[in-house]
Amino acid sequence: MRIRRIAAVARFELLSVVKRWSYLLATFGLPLFLAAISGIVIGLQTYFFSQRAEESSQFGLIDEAKVLDRSLFETQDGELRWKANEGADEVLLYESREEASKELGSGRLRAMYVIEQDYLANGQVRAVESEKTPLLSMRGTSIEPLLRKLLRKSLVQGRLDGDVKERVLSPAFFLRSRLGPDGDEVVDVDEALDLLVRTSIPLFLGILLLTALLSASGYLVQTVSTDKESKIVEVLLSSVTPEEILAGKLFGLGAAGLVQFAAWSSMVVFVAVSASAALAGVVSIPWGALALAPVFFVLGYLFLGSLMLATAALGANAAESQKLTMGWAMLAILPLMVPVILLEEPNGILGQVMTWIPFTSPLTVIVRLAVDPSGIAWWEVGGSMLVLLISTWLSIRIGARLFRVGFLLTGTMPSLAELWRQAR
Amino acid sequence: MAAVTVTDWPTRPPSRYTVPMGVLAYRGVSKRFGQHSALDGVSLEVAQGEVFGLLGPNGAGKTTLIRIGLDILRPDEGEVSLFGAAPTPHMLDRTAYLPEERGVYRRAKVRELLTYLGRLKGMKRAAAAAAADHWLERVSLSRVADQRVESLSKGMTQKVQIAACLMSDPELCVLDEPFSGLDPVNVALVTELIEERRRSGRTTVLSTHMMHQVEALCDRVALIHRGKLVVYGRLDEIRRRYSPHEVIVWTEMDLLALGVEATQHKAGGWRVELPASATASGYLNELVRNGVLVDRYEPLVARMDEIFVHLVSGEH
Repeated sequence: MRIRRIAAVARFELLSVVKRWSYLLATFGLPLFLAAISGIVIGLQTYFFSQRAEESSQFGLIDEAKVLDRSLFETQDGELRWKANEGADEVLLYESREEASKELGSGRLRAMYVIEQDYLANGQVRAVESEKTPLLSMRGTSIEPLLRKLLRKSLVQGRLDGDVKERVLSPAFFLRSRLGPDGDEVVDVDEALDLLVRTSIPLFLGILLLTALLSASGYLVQTVSTDKESKIVEVLLSSVTPEEILAGKLFGLGAAGLVQFAAWSSMVVFVAVSASAALAGVVSIPWGALALAPVFFVLGYLFLGSLMLATAALGANAAESQKLTMGWAMLAILPLMVPVILLEEPNGILGQVMTWIPFTSPLTVIVRLAVDPSGIAWWEVGGSMLVLLISTWLSIRIGARLFRVGFLLTGTMPSLAELWRQAR
Repeated sequence: MAAVTVTDWPTRPPSRYTVPMGVLAYRGVSKRFGQHSALDGVSLEVAQGEVFGLLGPNGAGKTTLIRIGLDILRPDEGEVSLFGAAPTPHMLDRTAYLPEERGVYRRAKVRELLTYLGRLKGMKRAAAAAAADHWLERVSLSRVADQRVESLSKGMTQKVQIAACLMSDPELCVLDEPFSGLDPVNVALVTELIEERRRSGRTTVLSTHMMHQVEALCDRVALIHRGKLVVYGRLDEIRRRYSPHEVIVWTEMDLLALGVEATQHKAGGWRVELPASATASGYLNELVRNGVLVDRYEPLVARMDEIFVHLVSGEH
């Protein structure tokens, strides 16, 4: 193969793509768009919660079962009130449903709770909201856990003593710690948040890797369809070999994909660094995964891209080429179809198997490295790269032959046997 | 008519083997697609510096033959020699091809496209850009150099494609229907470009259905029909071979009154069928000897379109 011809094809393909508005928008606009969306969502949430904090929320409570410990309530303006939390939530105790219903109807109360007569037998508490109460405003409140706390306190009052009573009310305070190089360090963070931050960055990185891979491969499918539909194929083939065209397209559009992936990855680095600064000790930046991501992108792209090019060349037009290449894309997406298993058990049997399959290895290795770098052996990383390299070499060899035949095909696709005969 | 067969073509020319003079040569080339035989044992040779006509009805196998010659397709059987050896990618730099189903990158700018196609022929960037400008001027399209191809008319696009084909000054140029879609002025321009190539010793293979262009330009022709070579040789010789044994005589005298078996020809003269043993020059001498005052005398030569129709309609 002649390097200068490959470079000429690569340069032309690269410039054809990077000059497009759609490419510029996807590459540089997407991170800005996502940042803008995240900013808007976070801003709105902050505003909503600050507004909520300023609102006084009052709830009515009717104790038909007579189980509440009234000593927990304070008398104020002739009403029995329980300060539910440090915020402005307040529970008013009513003697009858009618009285509370009137207050609910007038809009003073956000909701009323009725501890029904047979509560002790079935534990039922009826929650009633007014028509004026927005659905989410009651569901989203934290009053119900606090009402449970009030009921628990009332139920154990006088029945249990000292520490046992305290442990019934608060059975456990989890002290979280993580094993680091200097022993285990206490981490003051909620379990759900911990899981979220540990898995979201790898997942994000994985999705970006896959999107960049499929996007670059999509450009390949598009360029082959353009060549076939514009009927320039013969002009190209009378100057350069199919292998040179295939290599030029792979490199040119791969470079465009790599730029895209670099732009998107910088967003992951930014998010990871910001999260790491905000939640020190919880979020660790997956430097290993980030460093190897471009390598796996290139290998994964060359493997998938050469298969996509060869298969796309068999289609008579863009729609047909898309259909023909869909299977390869589905195989590459496989790890994201089982994200929970991969994120929760990155080094489980599924993760280990997908590490060795060239279609799934780029994404799997990167996610495994990002979630739990200590759980993946160096020989697994090196081995998966070797398998990917060999598969890439094979797919380029077979792809080039199919590409030669497919590039000139028009009309009905011949049988597989005929394709093989022509490709030999 | 039987296809030409050559049996003494070595797989790899030995060192003492005399390299054929042909720029492009096919020996016993066959190609099939599925059950369809596109080419069946075709052998022919295109010589240095000539304009070679490749003729045949639609679907005859011409495009397949061209593709095989330019190493775009590989033959199932037979050998191809390009510049005296088996085709290699490097040899393709000395060739150019204007396919019948020609394509362009419609969104590319004209100069950009030509420069790219020049680069694919191995030209350096500066040389390709200079050649692009030169050839755009030759085909009177300098003013659209920075326009997108999609903004050009069909005829202009065709001239861009011809410029792309000729810009690397190829030793062998294959032009498939180069005149289709061109107005008479541009037909004359392309004709002149082909003549110019012949004068400079460059070889051109011309595939066209415009038989008057074949008669005007080609030195030799080959006619392919149903994948087989049915006619191959010098244009004038083929025309003579398929011509009737007749002459046209222009004279004021009444040949019928002189006892000559003649009919009135549409061109104004008398059409006379010669005796089997007579030659055209001998018969003219005989007419003069018998006192016929001949104003003009012309052996009747078959036109290429008549030969084409005769051969492909199964009358031969």
